[in-house]
Amino acid sequence: MSRVGLMPEEGGGSYKLLVCLLAGIGIIIAAAPMAIIVIMSFSAAETSSFPPSEFSLRWYETALTLFSSDESSGSQAVGAALSSSLLVGLVVMVLSVAACIPLAYALVRGQRRLRQSMELLFTLPLVFPLVMLGIAFLLIAESLRWELGIWRLIIPHLALVMPFVLRNCMSAMQSISRETEEAAISLGASPLRAGLDIVVPLMKPGILAGLIFAFIISFNEFTITFFMYTIDQSTLPIWMYSRTVSSLDPSTLALSVFIILIDLVMIIAIDKIIAGRSSLF
Amino acid sequence: MSVSAHEGRPRVLPLPRRGIRVNALYRRSAPWLLCLPALLLITPFLAACLYMLRFSVSADTGAIDGFSLQAYVELAQPYFLRSVWLTLKLAATSTMIVLVLAIPLAIMIVTTRSASWRRVLTVVVLLPMILNLLIQSYGWILLLGPAGAINTALTQLGIIERPLILLFNEKGVLLGLVQTSLPLAVFPLMSAMRVVSQEYLEAASGLGASQWRSFADITLPLLKPGLISAGSIVFAFNASAFAVPLLLGGRRVRMLGLAIRDMISPLFNWSGAAAGGMVLILIITLVLVFSTWLVSRSSVRGVS
Amino acid sequence: MGIDLSIASVSKKFGQFEALKGIDLDIEKGSFVCLLGPSGCGKTTLLRIIAGFEKASAGQLLLGGNDISRLPPHKRDFGMVFQSLALFPHMSVAENIAYGLKLRGLSKLKRDDRVAELLEVISLPAIADRPVSALSGGQRQRVAIARALAVQPRLFLLDEPLSALDAQLRDAMQIELRQLQQQFGVTTILVTHDQTEAMMLADKLVVMKEGEICQQGAPQDIYRQPANAFTAEFLGASNILDASASDQGQVQLSGVDTVFRTDAPAGTALKLSVRAESVVLDRAPHLSSGPLGEVEFIRNLGASTEILVRTGVSTVRVRLPSRDSILQDLRVGEQVALQFDAESCVVFRADAA
Repeated sequence: MSRVGLMPEEGGGSYKLLVCLLAGIGIIIAAAPMAIIVIMSFSAAETSSFPPSEFSLRWYETALTLFSSDESSGSQAVGAALSSSLLVGLVVMVLSVAACIPLAYALVRGQRRLRQSMELLFTLPLVFPLVMLGIAFLLIAESLRWELGIWRLIIPHLALVMPFVLRNCMSAMQSISRETEEAAISLGASPLRAGLDIVVPLMKPGILAGLIFAFIISFNEFTITFFMYTIDQSTLPIWMYSRTVSSLDPSTLALSVFIILIDLVMIIAIDKIIAGRSSLF
Repeated sequence: MSVSAHEGRPRVLPLPRRGIRVNALYRRSAPWLLCLPALLLITPFLAACLYMLRFSVSADTGAIDGFSLQAYVELAQPYFLRSVWLTLKLAATSTMIVLVLAIPLAIMIVTTRSASWRRVLTVVVLLPMILNLLIQSYGWILLLGPAGAINTALTQLGIIERPLILLFNEKGVLLGLVQTSLPLAVFPLMSAMRVVSQEYLEAASGLGASQWRSFADITLPLLKPGLISAGSIVFAFNASAFAVPLLLGGRRVRMLGLAIRDMISPLFNWSGAAAGGMVLILIITLVLVFSTWLVSRSSVRGVS
Repeated sequence: MGIDLSIASVSKKFGQFEALKGIDLDIEKGSFVCLLGPSGCGKTTLLRIIAGFEKASAGQLLLGGNDISRLPPHKRDFGMVFQSLALFPHMSVAENIAYGLKLRGLSKLKRDDRVAELLEVISLPAIADRPVSALSGGQRQRVAIARALAVQPRLFLLDEPLSALDAQLRDAMQIELRQLQQQFGVTTILVTHDQTEAMMLADKLVVMKEGEICQQGAPQDIYRQPANAFTAEFLGASNILDASASDQGQVQLSGVDTVFRTDAPAGTALKLSVRAESVVLDRAPHLSSGPLGEVEFIRNLGASTEILVRTGVSTVRVRLPSRDSILQDLRVGEQVALQFDAESCVVFRADAA
């Protein structure tokens, strides 16, 4: 008799074969688009036919010149789009984490009823369709006609990242025992002081993961920004969309590889920080 | 000041004195003070939602004015109903495919011994959910397009003569939906697998169950709550998809998200879009509530 | 010595549940008080009220005559050692010990001196810069104690800090703790459910049960004269036997008169508390006046041997030195008579609380 298990080490026959086959298909579906972008970005050819006959770095050079040459043909330049993407991401990251640290504290230490209702409230943006978020924010922004500047993008992004940041902060908070905090208080620290000296440093992994999560989600956001962007306030994904809406230019692929790399680094960082501590979702 | 442990009677080190009354006030209001910043940040979201709800029952299509259900009534037109049907169909199909792929994938990730390989697999599966959908659609266009990798390969192998049309139709959209929602199912299933202990499977095998048999009799029933909730999340996510049909369907596959957006952009039918949005939210809420009920029912019965 | 802390009719309710039912307790300056009781008796709640982490539903805490009931915990100036020790994991040993001093505004120089001094006191001079995670169980214990004592606390509170240690280490730590307390002369309150620990450490023992104080006093007095069956049992008396009062004011056990006298009216249900080592076996039962029984079980524990003797409705536990000649050829099933050492037995009414 062969050994059993979710994935038997020996034997397993058709079961193991099918599991590996389907998992393999899953991995290919997940990774194929990114893989081909990376391959094609090194192509030397003008067309996007696969496989590339020759490899070169020419599209990376073209992508670089995009940043230096200022395309003032009505649409925003890539440099401006990138910098507003970064600005939005950074503001969203700092604000959401700064707000979620005290919230996570209050929810974990507070009464259960408060916790349940607040958790529900702050997961709402997660189940809310992105299109509807975009449309709802667009409706209210257009009707009120407030001059919001870059906040036009930051405010919707904040709603979107809060559930992720809060979850990370809360799972970090849950691992801090009340006694640790009380120990500080018994030594003479005020509750606020104990929070700053003891709780916040111990929440560090959750806070870091929350910061990265917030940035990564904001940086890659497409749907809501698609509704909210204006000529002056746009982000990198929207810039790429408007550039490639008619045809796909290989220099965009080089830019994409750059973004994939950023995301990859950040995901690996999150995975390292919260490894084994909590689930990603 | 000398503070020695050996001086006999301890000398109490003075604590800085602060107001006690302030402290009592602080204690009572502290929970709310701590929630306040986050509540402030989430308020625009709530306001926008309520605003949209109000707009959907407006008598005017372009502004909030009076009350009328006209916008909802006008949704009962073939083009919108077709969108609803298409959305349900694609969301359901993609959910099925995702679950079939996610179970083996989750099994593979949890059973991978080497921590670094497990990390690689996790990142590969997670990336499609995080990465900008636009970039992923570039990838699909390069793969599935008329001159894309798949068509080129098939043509060169002599299997087909003319390129297959894989993009800008339902097949392309379906593939995109499956890819982007796969992590949403894989990660909950990975944590659900913790309840499937090796001992259960060994016990089943000791009683004479084959590998397939114990998968069907032990693993699947134990995973059921996880499968239901993962499935409902994937369904909800894909039913509200916007970027994938926009980028891979070329607007020919008009899922609900696109249909609603079309009401705004060329038609300026704001109240119609708001009403359509409420319908979409209703569909998603129903699915989530139903799945929560299913999970609670199956856990009441006890899975052991 | 005067009264340091006075607890006046302190009670605590959690919803419907009454965790403390009007506790009155005076604690003398420099004394070591142990709150002893089974889990759920309210001892930890009482300690947390003293520390200020819980608020009493009613009652007062007077420290040196001043009401501190409303004082927030961080202004009470007490040192506390927690059950989990609660060492700050992101700080080194030295930083942990210095934290309270830092809050009191001591300069870095003075803090360092004080930390060195305390590390010397807990005989761990070399570990100042180690992370807390690199310490052994006993080391953590000592650091937690040092952290609490560093600030020269007004009161030293300990919440079962030794319960996580293995028996040998616990024994060593108990001795060390007692020596430290005497050296610092600090008024100390320790919560424990371990009667040996309490006996060993306490100047004053407070036995608690279901939110009330059963008995308080010097450990030896309580040990010798438990006020009720609960205290007797909790302090390790191995036999609590059902007895009754006879017409002649004699305590009867299984219908047989014993040497003990009682002033309870005839027929009153009594309890007789006897330590296992205070029972003597008589292998010539027909010559003895004591209650008769049948040997039910014998086990050799090395230095001593334990014998269970069934007499009437109860089973009496007897412990004799293994080399006692009376044990020779003792068999299960043998009839024996039991004799009690009057000095070490206590009689009380069954309804005494």
